[in-house]
Amino acid sequence: VATRQGGRRRVAGGVGWVILALGATVAADEPLRSRIDRAIESKLDGPVAATATDGEFLRRVSLDLAGVVPTSAEARAFLDDPSPYKRERLIDAILDSPRYARRMQYVFDVMLMERRADANNLADRWQDYLRRSFRENKPYNQLVREILAADGLDPAARPAARFWLDREAEPYLMTRDIGRIFLGRDMQCAQCHDHPLVDDYKQAHYYGLFAFVGRTSLFADPARGNVLAEKGDGDVSFTSVFKKKVKNQTGPRILDGPPVPEPDIAKGREYAVPPADKVRPVPSFSRRAQLSPALTSGNVPEFDRNIVNRLWAMMMGRGLVHPLDFHHGDNPPSHPELLDDLARSFAESGYDVKAFLRELALTRTYQRSSEPPPGMSPSQQDPALYAVAALKPLSPEQLGWSVMQSLGVMAAYRDEAVARFDQLDPKAKAFFSLDEKRRALRDELIEDEVVVRLSPSLGPFLNQFAGAAGQPQDASDPTVHQALFLSNGEPVQSWLAPSGTNLTARLAALADPGAVAEELYLSVLSRRPTEEERAEVAQYLESRKDQRPAALKELAWSLLASSEFRFNH
Amino acid sequence: MKCSYACQSAEHLQSRRTFLGSLAAGVGAAAGLGALVRPAAAEELQKKQRQVLVVWLAGGASQLEMWDPKPGTDTGGPFRAIATSVPGTYISELMPQTARQMHRISLVRGLNTKENDHGKGHYMMHTGRPQMPGVVYPHLGSVAARFLAPENDPLPGYIHITPGGGGLSGGEAAFLGPKYGALYLGNGNAPANTVRPGSIDDLGASGREALRMHANDRFARRRRTAETEAYTASYDQAKLLMERREVFDVTKEPARDVERYGSHDFGRHCLLARRLLEAGATFVQVTHSNYDTHNENFDFHLEQVGEFDVSFAALIEDLAQRGRLEHTLVIVMSEFGRTPQINHLYGRDHWGTAWSVALAGGGIQPGIVVGKTNERGTEVVDREVGAGHLFHTYLRASGLDPLDSFEANGRAIQIADPTATAIPELLA
Repeated sequence: VATRQGGRRRVAGGVGWVILALGATVAADEPLRSRIDRAIESKLDGPVAATATDGEFLRRVSLDLAGVVPTSAEARAFLDDPSPYKRERLIDAILDSPRYARRMQYVFDVMLMERRADANNLADRWQDYLRRSFRENKPYNQLVREILAADGLDPAARPAARFWLDREAEPYLMTRDIGRIFLGRDMQCAQCHDHPLVDDYKQAHYYGLFAFVGRTSLFADPARGNVLAEKGDGDVSFTSVFKKKVKNQTGPRILDGPPVPEPDIAKGREYAVPPADKVRPVPSFSRRAQLSPALTSGNVPEFDRNIVNRLWAMMMGRGLVHPLDFHHGDNPPSHPELLDDLARSFAESGYDVKAFLRELALTRTYQRSSEPPPGMSPSQQDPALYAVAALKPLSPEQLGWSVMQSLGVMAAYRDEAVARFDQLDPKAKAFFSLDEKRRALRDELIEDEVVVRLSPSLGPFLNQFAGAAGQPQDASDPTVHQALFLSNGEPVQSWLAPSGTNLTARLAALADPGAVAEELYLSVLSRRPTEEERAEVAQYLESRKDQRPAALKELAWSLLASSEFRFNH
Repeated sequence: MKCSYACQSAEHLQSRRTFLGSLAAGVGAAAGLGALVRPAAAEELQKKQRQVLVVWLAGGASQLEMWDPKPGTDTGGPFRAIATSVPGTYISELMPQTARQMHRISLVRGLNTKENDHGKGHYMMHTGRPQMPGVVYPHLGSVAARFLAPENDPLPGYIHITPGGGGLSGGEAAFLGPKYGALYLGNGNAPANTVRPGSIDDLGASGREALRMHANDRFARRRRTAETEAYTASYDQAKLLMERREVFDVTKEPARDVERYGSHDFGRHCLLARRLLEAGATFVQVTHSNYDTHNENFDFHLEQVGEFDVSFAALIEDLAQRGRLEHTLVIVMSEFGRTPQINHLYGRDHWGTAWSVALAGGGIQPGIVVGKTNERGTEVVDREVGAGHLFHTYLRASGLDPLDSFEANGRAIQIADPTATAIPELLA
């Protein structure tokens, strides 16, 4: 039983207002999802968006957790399922599927690498490493520990070293990105003086982090390629440009945490392998090796708050702290107690990403419609209140795969991969149906094959929609070139032409305009058309009846290019 | 440990209150997307349609064979200096046409950028800041696209005509976002996907447009947000750009002009630049390649500067005669200049210590020379300036305030390097 701060809170299920005395005790086994809803709803006192429709929910959770919209068959099955538990079942099915691991691979690749160039030819293996990590639901702190500890020497751990290697092991860049990506603090301005505008960002914080990596550099190993090297000496001192006379010193230290203890090393004993021409120096004490344990010790609240805020933003469309790398006193979280609760729960769960996302997906907050109810004022729609679901532009990967899914491009490749499994000799076939685990393996292999074969088609989407390398990827305005690409460019235009079992070929086989409308809307927008939309489809087909194949392409394109498709809503 | 000052702050002029105020405004304006506030001054300016033309001499053009000749010295090389339309101002004899335009052009001869690396020099001259790890600033073209381009301009705000490959790049825009990145017209070709596929007839094109708009209207009925509006606006812009595709087609220019500009790629690209500026493009950059003459500097410059002279002088004359020069800032620059010392291969090497940039047009005092190098061109002896001073000057000349700030993800960042200021005598 845990003691929690009380106060006026709204309790789930429309029970109404319940006044909890300060210091009231709340059962610790109250699930996180209810605590989230309570925290969010306690700040709402006006109209709140209705629960998302099944179609809205299906599309949203598929994009957020599987990274792609469902097929029309999947949509139809979900919408027609009468079970009251179907949403929870869908969440669990997605989290267990290989698509979840791929979605998280993309999310973390973009978060950690920010579309930096693949300078060390590690990107493919790095992606595999991330995907495997999420497939086995590796704890987040362990993942970070592995990435920060990797120096590129051990071939098995080399993919994880991409984080440092593709930053050229540049100490100032490493410092900045430890701060931004793992602590949610962009302290760049604190490099030269205490941050002029943000009281919490001290020059000492910057150089405390810098001290971990300031001795590190890139070393070109003839056999392995680039690896990390480190000097055995070199202290970090800094002066503010405003107070040039005061010289400060610091050892490795995470923000205001305790200084990392360092052994006394006699002069002349700084190296296990001393520097020499074409020799990688190895210090007798590595400062960089202290970073990974210090950051993931469990005693750094900023580390925990940063990741739960990022996962929250991935699901809810906006961080409790916004922007994501700007945690500080003058930019407080919209829901401070909730952020602390999320951070604590996540740490207590053993940094279980999957379980955390599951709880978020099960909240009423997540499952609200993105349509504000009539009469809701702009201030009540403030995205920081979460009274209405946010519109999230699809990431380049979500967009590319969803276009391929909607137009039936993925299905063709999936059918081929399935056929190959069906043609296996009986022994092999029996192996893959032996138990749940092997059936899952079969699904995963099929999914992998589809993705590998189609990944060249993802390239144009990345070229058009990805942000600049080394910049946060969560913010960008639409460009005219993107519109031109989707309107006139390849490969989309080819995919719209009827072929095999793709969308326009399936539509061409349907005589009834109502059936066309239904298959079209389920395929592209994961919902059934309204009466108005059915009528529009019928009317359009009638007006272009001498050009029916062209008309079907035009109908499919118009939905693909619509705002409803471009956003996760 | 030496601090490499990434934010270059001698002092932060902006008040805390302004910063926090704009932060709050940005949060409401566009959640999730780059919240950028357009300074009121920029709003004003857009009505006047300020334009910018940059001629980029890739590789590092020699100031001694162009703007700051030193004939008769051991560093001067074989070429003479010639008189120009400005009494007392002499330039290299390789530029006889440009010499007649010098009353429209001003020179900065006291440039010391202290940078001899191609990549770093390129970055510095485009951003007005030294390159620092961990932070990237937008190029001049992206700044222009952001603050000078009219709202919903169908033409991309930053167009770069290069001899190389075409395509889109968001890197130049840094935190401003890909919308303000450079559109490369590789070898002067029109941008990709601006032609409707042949399989879509007129009826189909208007039909699918109407369907798309109906779908958007249904979706926006209750969900209207800045983000969906920006998305639908990008299709309107695409339609306008397709309709105006001819502005990228230099073959529509009269044959007589093609001849005047020179029958080589750079001539054709300069003529395309004129066409684009006349069509209202905000920022056009033309790259002329390549001046990296470690060997045979004089032969190469004879050829390269010869091309440059004809096309550039024709362009300046046309812009002036058609009344465009007064609101078009023109900049001729490189990564760096070239060494006064002539190496044993008759080449000149990289040299950021004492070199020149030429400016003309809108906001620039014409026909003057600022700064001076010594007799052998080995150092600046008067009015030494750096890339930051130039960047401030470009912005002031275009009517922008270099002390204004970008709003990048809730952070305020001064547009131009806070440690530099504009060069006052250059400003008209």
